Amino acid sequence: MPVAHEGLEQEIGYVTKPFEIEHIRGLFEGTDPLMHELAYNLIVGNHHDVDRLTKDALDRDFSANNILDDGLIAGMAIVGIKFRDNIIFVPEVLVAARAMKAGMKHLEPILSASGIEPLGTVIMGTVKGDLHDIGKNLCIMMLRGAGFAVHDLGVDTSADKFIDAVMEHDAQVLGMSALLTTTMPNMGKTITAFEEAGLRDQVKIMCGGAPLNQEFADDMGADGYGKDAMDCVALAKSLLGLEEVMKAVPAKT
Amino acid sequence: MALTETMKPRERVMNALAGKPVDRTPVANPTNVATVELMDMMDAPFPDACRDPELAARLAATGYTELGFDSVMPYFTIIQESSALGCDMQWEEKDNWPTVRMYNPIWKGPDDIRIPPGFLEHPDNIAITRAIEILKRELGDEVAVIGKTMGPWTLAYHVFGVEPFLLMTVDDPDMTMRCLDRLKEISVLFGEAQIAAGADALTFPDHATGDLVSGDYYRRFLLEIHREMVERLSVPLILHICGNTLDRMDYIAQTGMAAFHFDSKNDPQAAMDTVAGRIGLVGNINNPETLYARGPEEVRQEVFRCLDAGVGMVAPECAVPLATKLENLIEIPRAVKAWHESHDE
Repeated sequence: MPVAHEGLEQEIGYVTKPFEIEHIRGLFEGTDPLMHELAYNLIVGNHHDVDRLTKDALDRDFSANNILDDGLIAGMAIVGIKFRDNIIFVPEVLVAARAMKAGMKHLEPILSASGIEPLGTVIMGTVKGDLHDIGKNLCIMMLRGAGFAVHDLGVDTSADKFIDAVMEHDAQVLGMSALLTTTMPNMGKTITAFEEAGLRDQVKIMCGGAPLNQEFADDMGADGYGKDAMDCVALAKSLLGLEEVMKAVPAKT
Repeated sequence: MALTETMKPRERVMNALAGKPVDRTPVANPTNVATVELMDMMDAPFPDACRDPELAARLAATGYTELGFDSVMPYFTIIQESSALGCDMQWEEKDNWPTVRMYNPIWKGPDDIRIPPGFLEHPDNIAITRAIEILKRELGDEVAVIGKTMGPWTLAYHVFGVEPFLLMTVDDPDMTMRCLDRLKEISVLFGEAQIAAGADALTFPDHATGDLVSGDYYRRFLLEIHREMVERLSVPLILHICGNTLDRMDYIAQTGMAAFHFDSKNDPQAAMDTVAGRIGLVGNINNPETLYARGPEEVRQEVFRCLDAGVGMVAPECAVPLATKLENLIEIPRAVKAWHESHDE
C-alpha cells in the first residue's frame, strides 16, 4: 500500500525488484507519518530537518529504538538501493549519511544507556600503504545504517593494528579495503598475520576495493568479497548468519 | 603478412591523436608503465624517480627502450603539483605509489586557493619539466614525449579532501564552480610549463569517475572547463578518468580533447559506439586481473579485443601495478603488430 507522504512514495518508486519493494513497503507499513517524514528527509540529505524531526519524535515519546528502525534505518535502506542501482552516487550518499549522523546524535546516548546490543561488531580499515578511504567510509556508513557497531581504524593500517583492534573490541568481522594494486597484497599479509597469531578462526574477514575481485579474495583466504557498500552489509550479515534479520538494532559507535 | 612500419613512433602517436592515418595502431602510456623491475634495471627507484629529473627521465625512457611503446611518460604519479601546492604527502617506498594524505586537507574553499610563489620551480614540478627536456633531447625525434597535468577535479580531491569536496558539490554548487575555476589555472600553468619543456601531448587526468559521481555531474561541473582546456593548452590533450565512464562518454566526446584514456570497466566496443568518432580512444588493457595477474596470452587477447573494436591507441587502462611482469607489458606492442599482420592487406 502506498504511503501518504508524497516525497517518500516517490523515493520508494526507485525500488524496482519485487522482493525489495515488498521489504521496503513492509518497513513503513503501519508506522507513524512522522517516521515517514524523517525517512524522507534522511534520503534527500536534509540533515537540519532530520536533527529537528528526531528531537520532535523523542519529545512526542517515540522510543529511540523505533525512531532508529522506522525512520533512520528504513530511510537508509532506500539510500543503499538507490546507490547500488546508480540512481544516486557518492555525494548523495554522503549527505544522507550526514543526516543519519544528525539523528543519531540524539539517539545514541539513549540507546547506549538501554544496553541494546548491535547486530555485530565490525573492524574496518584501509590496508598498510594505502591512504584511500572513500569506499571504506561508504561501507562504514551502510554498516552503521544497518545496525552494526563499527570501529574505523582509518587508512594505512598495519596487520598489528587490525589484530589489536579485533582483540580489543572482540569483533566478529574484520573488513579491509584497498584502492591500489600495490597495496592489495597487504590484505593477504594481514590474513597471514591473523593465522600466525592463532586468531584466524576468531574473526570473519571480508575485503573490498576497486581493483579486487572474488578470485583475488579467495586466493588470499578471505571469507568474503564485497563489490560495493550494499554488498558489504549483505556480506557482513551473511558471515554472521543474519541474512534473515530485516530490522536492525542500533550501532553504538 | 609481415608488418611494414613506415612511421616513427612519434609520428604514429601524433597522427593518431590528430585523427590522421597511421601505419599501425600506436601503443601508448598516457599514465605510467614504471614497474619495480624497470626501477631495478635502471637504478631509478620510487620515490626518488618521482622527484629527480635524471632518474625520472631514465625510468620513463624504458617505456620505449625496454617495452617498445611508442611514447614515454616521465610523470609517474598524480601528485607532483599537489606536493608543490603544499599538500601533506606520503612518499612511500619503491613498491608503492606516493599519495596525498587527503584526510589532512590544506584548504576549505575558493578563497584559500593560492598558487604559491615559485610554484613551477618547486622541485617536484621541476622533476617533471626537466625530465621532459631530457627525454625530448635524447628521444624526441623518435618517440612521443607525453606530459601530464592534473585537472581541477583531481586537484580538488587533493587540496580539500574527497569527502569535503563531494559534500561541497551538493551543498554549494556555485562555490564548487568557483573552486574549479581557480584550480584550473594550476592545470594550465603546469601544462604550459611542460609544453615549453617539449611535451608533444598532455594527459589530463580529472577523476570524475562513475564510481563516485554521476555523468550529469561531469556535464554540470566539467564539460565547459575541459573545452576551455582544449582552447588554452596548445598540444593534443588525452583526458583520463578511471572507472565506469560510459554514461559520460557522450559528454567527453564533446570536449574537443584529442583522446580519452578509458578504463577496462567499459567495454571497448560500447565505448567506440558511444563516442562515434568524435574523440579518439586510448586503452583499455585491464591492470589488476590481466597485466598483474595473468600472462602474455591473456594480454594478447585483450589487445585484440581493443583492436577489433577499433580503439585508436592501445594502452594499459591506468598506471600499471608496480609488480607487473615485463613480459606482459612487452606483449602489448607485440600483440598490436601481430594483429595488424593478420588484418592489414
